[in-house]
Amino acid sequence: MNSDRTDPATRLEDALSRLPQCVEPPRDLWPAIEARLEPRATIARRRWLWPAAAAAVLLIGASSLITATLLRRDEVAAVRRADAPAGVAATVAAFGPGQALGPSYLAARQELARSLEARIGRLPPEGRRQLEKNLAELRRASAEINAALELRPGDPLLEELLLNVYQDELAVLASVNQLTGGSGAGATTDPTRMQL
Amino acid sequence: MTEPGDGSEFERARRASDERALVESAKHGSTAAFEALYRNHVGKVYGLCLRMTANRATAEDCTQEAFIQAWRNLPSFENRSAFGTWMHRIAVNAVLAQGRRRREQPGDDASVDEAADRLPDPGIGDDGDVIDLEQAIARLPAGARQVLVLVGLYGHSHEEAAAMLGLAVGTCKSQLHRARDLLGRRLAAEESAS
Repeated sequence: MNSDRTDPATRLEDALSRLPQCVEPPRDLWPAIEARLEPRATIARRRWLWPAAAAAVLLIGASSLITATLLRRDEVAAVRRADAPAGVAATVAAFGPGQALGPSYLAARQELARSLEARIGRLPPEGRRQLEKNLAELRRASAEINAALELRPGDPLLEELLLNVYQDELAVLASVNQLTGGSGAGATTDPTRMQL
Repeated sequence: MTEPGDGSEFERARRASDERALVESAKHGSTAAFEALYRNHVGKVYGLCLRMTANRATAEDCTQEAFIQAWRNLPSFENRSAFGTWMHRIAVNAVLAQGRRRREQPGDDASVDEAADRLPDPGIGDDGDVIDLEQAIARLPAGARQVLVLVGLYGHSHEEAAAMLGLAVGTCKSQLHRARDLLGRRLAAEESAS
């Protein structure tokens, strides 16, 4: 170290500034690197695999949820059809020939229709706002992670975070499904459990 | 961060233009162009990896990994920053990923002394003072060493270094303070011993 200077902090700064930024590796690393370089076409194909896999997970999950929701709506629709004044034949057909629907069952079905409709249409504004907020935050997070991935390409941590955000989005969608039909009054008026 | 260079403004502009041309060729699959980029930047990348890891073999692995990652991700490089700056970030990520793989947490001093004995690298030179300083840096705790290397040696701001290392800016500043304090004391002790 330069011992002419008395201030240790200044001497240290001087010494640090004299260190070369470039240090040549003791051996040529290029041959090993070149051997591992993949042709551009291979990389381009693989580049699509990861987001495609994530999209597939999202799509499968979302379509399952949509199917579940539609099935629940069909239940409601069936109940509504049964409620129609001229719907006796239809309700008999729906529950099997020779089945007579008593007044108690009709009343229960009306209750079910009301409760399902209420659950779908009466998602608490707070809950609805929260769900919208969560989804917006998740979408903002995925946009930010994508932007960060541009700065840190191939960063495995960021890629994992992005996948986690997609999974969280699925979880929010699942919670929407639960809130709109997964529990509540419907459980006590489930037509499959009804005594005819 | 400043780009290396000691030429005139014209010379720097010419080099930047040449580099853009190399980047474009490499984007389209030219390994020859990528090799030229490698030759231009390997010294700085290896220097960074060597100082951050304090281990020559690990630094070589990280340097290779960084260039392979750069090749893979080059099509998404949009020239928003200089290629060297982009490469630098990839190298830091390669070092951090290597650390994660080895379950080496910042502040974990295991093997630092052993690694420091293998420093300085032959490429650093034979100036005795420089060698002392390199060895003292290599013996720093990993967290303090990485901040010192990024901020003190390679000129990153605390904000940039904190973002790259996943630290709070305050932590970054205190790590730099700690690194300078430890370095100063170690060098003073060595001076008084000699």
